[in-house]
Amino acid sequence: MKFLEDIILKLGAVDRRVIFVLIGLAVLIPLMTPISLPVRETPTTVKFYDGIEDIPKNSKVLVSFDYGPSTRPEIHPMNVGVLRHMLRNGHQIYISCLWPDGIYMALDALEEITNEVNPDNVSSFDIKEYEDYILLGYRPGAEAVIKGLASDLRKVYTVDANGNFIDDIEMMDGIKNLNDFAYIYSGSAGYPGTFEWVKYGGDPTGVPMSSGTTSVQVNEVIPYVQTGQLIGLLAGMPGAAEYEKLINVPGIAIQGMAAQSFAHIVIVLFIVFGNLAFFIKQRRDRKY
Amino acid sequence: MSFSAILGAWIAAFLTLGIFSYLYRDNPFYKIAEHVFVGVSAAYVAAISFWTQIYPNLLGRLFPKDGPLAFTGIEFDFNHEFNILYLFPLLLGVMMLVSVFQKFNWMARWGIAYTVAIAAGLKAFGYLNSNVLNQVKASAVDIFSGSLPLFSLSGDSVFNNIVLVVGTLSALMYFYFSKEQTGNFGRFTRLGIYFLMVSFGASFGFAVMGRISLLVGRFNDLIEYSSADYNYATLSVLVFIIVSLGFWSFQNPERKEN
Repeated sequence: MKFLEDIILKLGAVDRRVIFVLIGLAVLIPLMTPISLPVRETPTTVKFYDGIEDIPKNSKVLVSFDYGPSTRPEIHPMNVGVLRHMLRNGHQIYISCLWPDGIYMALDALEEITNEVNPDNVSSFDIKEYEDYILLGYRPGAEAVIKGLASDLRKVYTVDANGNFIDDIEMMDGIKNLNDFAYIYSGSAGYPGTFEWVKYGGDPTGVPMSSGTTSVQVNEVIPYVQTGQLIGLLAGMPGAAEYEKLINVPGIAIQGMAAQSFAHIVIVLFIVFGNLAFFIKQRRDRKY
Repeated sequence: MSFSAILGAWIAAFLTLGIFSYLYRDNPFYKIAEHVFVGVSAAYVAAISFWTQIYPNLLGRLFPKDGPLAFTGIEFDFNHEFNILYLFPLLLGVMMLVSVFQKFNWMARWGIAYTVAIAAGLKAFGYLNSNVLNQVKASAVDIFSGSLPLFSLSGDSVFNNIVLVVGTLSALMYFYFSKEQTGNFGRFTRLGIYFLMVSFGASFGFAVMGRISLLVGRFNDLIEYSSADYNYATLSVLVFIIVSLGFWSFQNPERKEN
């Protein structure tokens, strides 16, 4: 027993760099030798999927890219999935960005979808700018931008991301403010993002909305789902993986889940050993 | 593969591994990556804010095509009409900028005061409506509704509604400091602490999950950049950083702290 306790004490006092290496390996190995683990849909993801399915076909939807490269691994797979799902249902997509680098994330997502081919080597989505989607672009101002969109979109966006006058774009006909959209979606990594869209976009206008967020935000955002202010939620990379499964397009999020699970096991083991070591040390100190 | 894509991969691999090298200890590679990130971010946000907001929405309204200030020779055509009110944000912005001179730093207060007032008003409304009223409304649930199942893991049920009401009340009462938390009241507030601890635990779990997701994303890119298409960018940079760090550590041994 003492031998076992000594081992646990040693594990509890291991150099932090050893833990970093072990977590690195736990992530790297499953990525290099792909392992398939089952993905089970959670109710919030199913609700999210159903929410998008319930939008009347060929509607106008607003998709906001509120993240940058730093949180791309979590949000990008879900945004690509949402674009796929919406385009498949024939919706016209209006893309806005509250983050300065969101526009490049949107361009990447659109490129990924445009380059996608089916097994017959035919493009899966034959989409055209100004017909199927429009890039409104980035505007600084966070909640002030959303408030502006809720009252008069054309005051916030006079030109789109390509510098073309909004008034001259046919796809913008009939769009005055947020009330003219059937649905709002925000892929959000923090401020400004989901919270601001709920407070200044969804709630005041009553337009149904949902969001995909980083894992860190989930605990704070989830009450909005319970109140119905958000129709479902994609919670971090696991949420993206569940959504990829629901739309039947396995992607990078599903691939990352094995690495995610192994890293969690390593972390949980170290938390257990750390706590055991703490109690063993406390007991020994009390003895002497 | 284009030259710019390969160069981009080498820079990305260098910056990623430079940041990761901090896990060993603070070192010049980490410092380079950190400073490049801060500098590029600041410049990028400044440039994009000017071209997407100040240029079309401010200058476009003060100097529209054929506007009253067209005689200056400055015109920006964004389909706007001249609007003199936009002189005020321009003035406040300039006043904030001139605060770099000690003599005029009082001027920044006006701009800051305006921004703070607007932000406070906007946030107060949004917070009250979405976070207070809607959340209070949602926590007013029918505990003993006959139509609900007695127990369910995630959906509405009598048990979950009781947990919701008891959890909300006990956690709120924990922050009620006008009565000593002893006896039955103390036991009730202690229950509130447990609810809060579960919430903190969930937050920690989600935070760990988020960080691992980001690590997965970086590793995916590094694995991609280690291929022959990118001239083995990851492996080459990794070897270079390890060798350099080894040499640097040998010259700058880590000081043991007591």
